[in-house]
Amino acid sequence: MLEVEGLTKRFGEVLALDGCSFVVPEGRIVGFLGPNGAGKTTTMRCVFGLARPDGGSLRWRGREIGEAERRRFGYMPEERGLYPRMRVREQIVYFAELSGLSSSAAGAAADRWLGRLGLADRASSRVEELSHGNQQRVQLAAAIAHGPELVVLDEPFSGLDPLGVEALAGLLAELAGDGVAVLFSSHQLDLVEDVCEDVVIVDHGRVVLSGEVERLRSASSRRILRVTVDGTPWVPRIPGVTEVPREEGRPRILVDASVDLGGLLALAGEAGRVTQFSFEPPSLSDLFIEAVTGGDRG
Amino acid sequence: MTSLATIRLVARREVVQRARSRAFKISTAIVVLVAVALIVVPSFVSGGRPTSTVGVVGGASSELASSLVAVGKAQDRTVEVSAYPDEAAAERALRAGAVDVVLVPDRAQLVWKAERDPVVAALVTEAVQAIERGRTIAEIGLTPEQAAALLRPPGLSSRSLEPVGKEEEGRIALATIVVILLFASISVFGGFLVSGVIEEKANRVVEVLLSRVRPDELLAGKVLGMGVVGLAQILVVAVAVLGALVAVGTADLPQTTPGMVGWVLLWFVVGYGFYSVVFATSGSLASRQEDAQSVSVPVTMLSLVAYFVSLGTISDPSGTLARVCSFLPPTAPFVMVARQARGGVSVWEVAVSVAVMAASTYGLVKLAGRIYEGAILRIGPRVRLREAWRSARR
Repeated sequence: MLEVEGLTKRFGEVLALDGCSFVVPEGRIVGFLGPNGAGKTTTMRCVFGLARPDGGSLRWRGREIGEAERRRFGYMPEERGLYPRMRVREQIVYFAELSGLSSSAAGAAADRWLGRLGLADRASSRVEELSHGNQQRVQLAAAIAHGPELVVLDEPFSGLDPLGVEALAGLLAELAGDGVAVLFSSHQLDLVEDVCEDVVIVDHGRVVLSGEVERLRSASSRRILRVTVDGTPWVPRIPGVTEVPREEGRPRILVDASVDLGGLLALAGEAGRVTQFSFEPPSLSDLFIEAVTGGDRG
Repeated sequence: MTSLATIRLVARREVVQRARSRAFKISTAIVVLVAVALIVVPSFVSGGRPTSTVGVVGGASSELASSLVAVGKAQDRTVEVSAYPDEAAAERALRAGAVDVVLVPDRAQLVWKAERDPVVAALVTEAVQAIERGRTIAEIGLTPEQAAALLRPPGLSSRSLEPVGKEEEGRIALATIVVILLFASISVFGGFLVSGVIEEKANRVVEVLLSRVRPDELLAGKVLGMGVVGLAQILVVAVAVLGALVAVGTADLPQTTPGMVGWVLLWFVVGYGFYSVVFATSGSLASRQEDAQSVSVPVTMLSLVAYFVSLGTISDPSGTLARVCSFLPPTAPFVMVARQARGGVSVWEVAVSVAVMAASTYGLVKLAGRIYEGAILRIGPRVRLREAWRSARR
């Protein structure tokens, strides 16, 4: 289990991390979510010793994270980094060896991942000759080929098409199935809605919400409804009901606990023929908004 | 995994990638060609002997011609004789530079284009005298044995306290070549290091690397790997040079030449060790290849100053400047190797100089290593030395 506890980091005037705490258990996929500048990348860089926290502690399986621990981690930074003129397989082997694999084990792992990621025929191409998407795959292989116990990916889904998102999500699930602790960050909460089991939502360097997604959803006091009358979205102008503009432009409404749903349905019936009247589980964005506004946003 | 194993991995990548690059192959080929040409070409051009051409008015008798050639040979000089029908024709040839001197036997006179060349004058005088002597001996009626006894040279051998003339010129040339070769190699591989370090920053590979290895391991591996490639290149050149020496013979080369092959290898290791750390650290200050030049200005200036000082000391290898500079870090590799090419440097001097360099390189590694650590993860504009120094503080 990765334990991040009370992490603080200041860059000049900016407080990037303000007592950030969360855990990533083995075998779980944890989405590290929040808007740009919330401190996600800084936290990840601290885990890998690329930035030094001003305070707080970082532990893996109960031990302070040091060099030995980091060799058993895999990291894919947001700014992708590969040697452009090095050949694909060589590069994956090199990084795996740096993480402590013997050259034969590194070679076998590279071949396995190249096959798994559909890059087997590009093994001896230079990285610079590959398409952007394939370069990302190589980057991923370089991060996980050495069989790490913890995989940390910074914005792995950004720039991927829906198919790519699905493929990567499947791969992460596979890793978690093998007992790997997976932490990935994203600023696009909608994109990773279905990917993560657990979320840690940060804002301004502090964790505002964390836990299992399903539990967070059911614990949410926010009632979100989708109501259509005569096939078009319906938003009543009454106190306690607000529009939540989102999701493919189809409006939904947020209904305060004080509003009687029976009365609301009756009101909709007066407006016309009710074609849809359904509860929606709160999305990650809803949860995020609820968390940062303290749940009092109407 | 140990630090050494990590350093070896980083170094190996450096060696493999660099040795495979076209720039490396081409630069090696050029250096080999130039080094071999410097040895082979002179021995072809003149055979190592100066040549003088003597024009003789009124046609040269075969007796005079062979006497001129014989005397020339005795003085290690090739003499060519041209005959002219009259003085006017001979003078035209003299003005045109076809002959060095014109001999007018009727008037027993030497005609020069401008300045009299005492060596050539003595040579022609001796040749004419030899013929006169032969005639006189024949007139007196001496037996051939008597004549031989009379004309036998005294057979003096000679030795010099210091290398003189050709040998000294040769050693000056050798020292110059060696210093240039050393400076060029250190600069080229230092430059490779700068761009290699910047490449890792520019591509952000450095983040992936440093999530697995320590900055000092990365720095050590890169410096070491590039050093191995540099040493390999110099070895290739050394082998080519030795081959060329064997092929053309060392007779015309200064006596210090064969030993210099080994000394250049030593001084490359020592000099590269010192400068490479500064080159690599300079590279860590920049995030874009465009800044490579400006961040390496200080180290380039340092090596240039050392280079010019060493060129300046070649003519006076035992002067105070040369002696002092052959023990001081920035200049020692270049100045000491130049002094060795000139000859007369004792082994203990070399040992002391190497020890001083090793000690200062160790100190430099500590200093530069910290700057490298502080700067390598700072992507963006050029990192100031002070910022780098501060942010490396743990």
